[in-house]
Amino acid sequence: MTPRRWALVALGLAALVWTLGGGWVSISRGVQESHLLDVTVGLSFFGAGIVALDRRPGNVLGPLMVAFAATGFLANWGNLIPVFPTLGFLGGLFGAPLLVHSTLAYPSGRLRTRYDRVVLAAMYAQAAAVGLVGLLTFPRRGPGCGRCPWTPLFFPNRTVFITVNRISDRSALVVVPLVLAALWLRWQGASQGERRELAPLWAAASILAVVYLMGAFASPDAQDGFSYLLWELRAVLQISLPIVFVWGLLSTRLARSAVGDLVVALDRPLPPGGLQAALARTLADPALEVVYALERQPRAEHPDGEERRWVDANGRPVALPPPGVAPGLGPGAGTGAGRGARVATIVERNGRPLAALFHDPALDPGLVRAAGAATGMAIENERLHAQVRAQLDEVRASRARIVQASDEERLRIERNLHDGAQQRLLTLSLALHAARRQLAALGAGADTALVEAMRRAAEELRLAIDELRELARGIHPAILTDEGLGPALGSLAGRTAVPVTLVEVPQGRLPRPIESTAYFVVCEALANLTKHAHAASASVRVRLDHDQRAGRQARGQAGLLVEVRDDGVGGADPARGSGLRGLHDRVAAVGGRLEVTSPPGQGTMVLAWLPGHADHAQDHTARAGAAVRPR
Amino acid sequence: MPTVLIVDDHPGFRGWARAVLQAEGFGVVGEAADGAAAIQAASALRPDVVLLDIQLPDMNGFEVAERLRGDGAGGTVVLISSRDAADYGTRVSDSPVAGFLAKADLSGAALEAVLESAGQGQEPGR
Repeated sequence: MTPRRWALVALGLAALVWTLGGGWVSISRGVQESHLLDVTVGLSFFGAGIVALDRRPGNVLGPLMVAFAATGFLANWGNLIPVFPTLGFLGGLFGAPLLVHSTLAYPSGRLRTRYDRVVLAAMYAQAAAVGLVGLLTFPRRGPGCGRCPWTPLFFPNRTVFITVNRISDRSALVVVPLVLAALWLRWQGASQGERRELAPLWAAASILAVVYLMGAFASPDAQDGFSYLLWELRAVLQISLPIVFVWGLLSTRLARSAVGDLVVALDRPLPPGGLQAALARTLADPALEVVYALERQPRAEHPDGEERRWVDANGRPVALPPPGVAPGLGPGAGTGAGRGARVATIVERNGRPLAALFHDPALDPGLVRAAGAATGMAIENERLHAQVRAQLDEVRASRARIVQASDEERLRIERNLHDGAQQRLLTLSLALHAARRQLAALGAGADTALVEAMRRAAEELRLAIDELRELARGIHPAILTDEGLGPALGSLAGRTAVPVTLVEVPQGRLPRPIESTAYFVVCEALANLTKHAHAASASVRVRLDHDQRAGRQARGQAGLLVEVRDDGVGGADPARGSGLRGLHDRVAAVGGRLEVTSPPGQGTMVLAWLPGHADHAQDHTARAGAAVRPR
Repeated sequence: MPTVLIVDDHPGFRGWARAVLQAEGFGVVGEAADGAAAIQAASALRPDVVLLDIQLPDMNGFEVAERLRGDGAGGTVVLISSRDAADYGTRVSDSPVAGFLAKADLSGAALEAVLESAGQGQEPGR
């Protein structure tokens, strides 16, 4: 047992002595009241207070309930010790503020709004003022002191004393609506989970309202039976308050046992995001989210000092609420108050953050921590999965960037060739043409060897120009950049040795990486079939993948379908040869897929699906249908 | 002697093209280095033939050809390029031009041949 537990046990014993002793004093002095009821109320508040001190250390509810019970019995003991009647009177005054305080602070222990604080401060102030005036004017036979041998006498004045007391009792008519209004405001601003927790409070508050409205007219010293009955009834109803508070605590205990069920459920493998669903079920917070902490990144990758990243189960980056969200910090640490407010509880392992749970602020922080701790292994597992997914996304992105950079570099080289060397050679060709013309003008006088040399130079130059043009086109076809995929494929088909039919091509422009990848696929497939397939003909079909959304693509992503078929010998194997392998890599770099179907003797079909913003194409796919003959 | 306006952004090429065409009986009346200058020069000089590079710094030759047709000032437009006509897909045949000449093939005779075949197929000046 911890010292704290020992202290609570001691407090429990003291409470027992205080309560039973107080009851015994009242009996022995012949005080007219239901002693059993009195002791039951005292013990129930003491018991609930001590349970609260044990279960929710730091929560003010425990001390409040203990204080209520302790002050309530001051009056009983006042019958034994002469100085106590006035203290008993004071204790009775502070009962109402202490109860309202417990109600408004339920279950977190904190007062949430300025309104709550103002109402409560007014109640405490009123109790203090009535107490002060009452102390000064306490009469010889004041309340709770039917047979007191001694009372303090400052300015004993029975009229003033009774008036002040009556004002104090009747003030319940004002205070009760104010408190009910505070509770109504709180209900309005409460989240779903908070409302679940507030339901028993509403029961308690109704009881409290009845009790204090009754209290406005009830008195143990009153002569008529009705007032006395109200006084007794009020004591009975008060017992229900600690029951409600303890019930609130026990419901947390019940939820904790659900954590045990969760641990059993985690024995089975979970799908991605399954842990989040399981935690949401266990903590009864359907909107609960789990985000995972990635391992510290090397400084070089994050020069701005951003070292820890948070991702969801699929590895997508997530922003955490502002800093200061400490491990296990409860309500108030997160994203504001009211409906839809979330707080983050960080789950740690060996001092290292594993994950953060975004949850309803009304959830018991201890319970959330317990759930986080119980699922530590599963969280670690899922965190690693999320980390791998995040890294995979990073690799995909960097691969796409590399391909894009390479595309842009090829484009730049092609432009440089076109604007530089190619233009100079063309100018040279014109100069040579002019020179040859001048030479020819000399007629028979011309040196035949020189004429021949010039002719051969012009031929060589022509070959150089042609080769350079082919080279530039191979590096990056200008028509693709300038005119788009359709014209580029038309040009490509026209230059292919095998007759190629363009069955369908999209007419509008597409994102550049998609256009260049689609072109690359067709280009490589046509080059392959020309070299290896011995095909008599081939067909190319490129279309926007609108109609495939529901079926083929589970996520409903639009894309571009590129299909190249031939009637050749088949038997192409993507595993062998760098051509199809490179094609596969190139398609994967934009997140697409490549399928090669090539049964021996039945031709080859290369099918690529490229994801992307296919909606960029302004026109729907046009049916070209024209066979392009080789030149 | 048909008059010619040479439109190309490379001065060296323009100079030699002028020399070659003049030597073969064409009257080169002007040169332009970009599309805007070409449209202005064509309207001022009213040449019979505009030898128009497709790759220009401000707009491409197809656009210039459209504008010239709109202005009714272009005479017969012949596109030239360092690339093949096939590199432009169907855009050359879709354009309001008399024909296409690869720069590597440029000569007075080749230009004459293009103009002749265009003259048989369509009305000059469109």
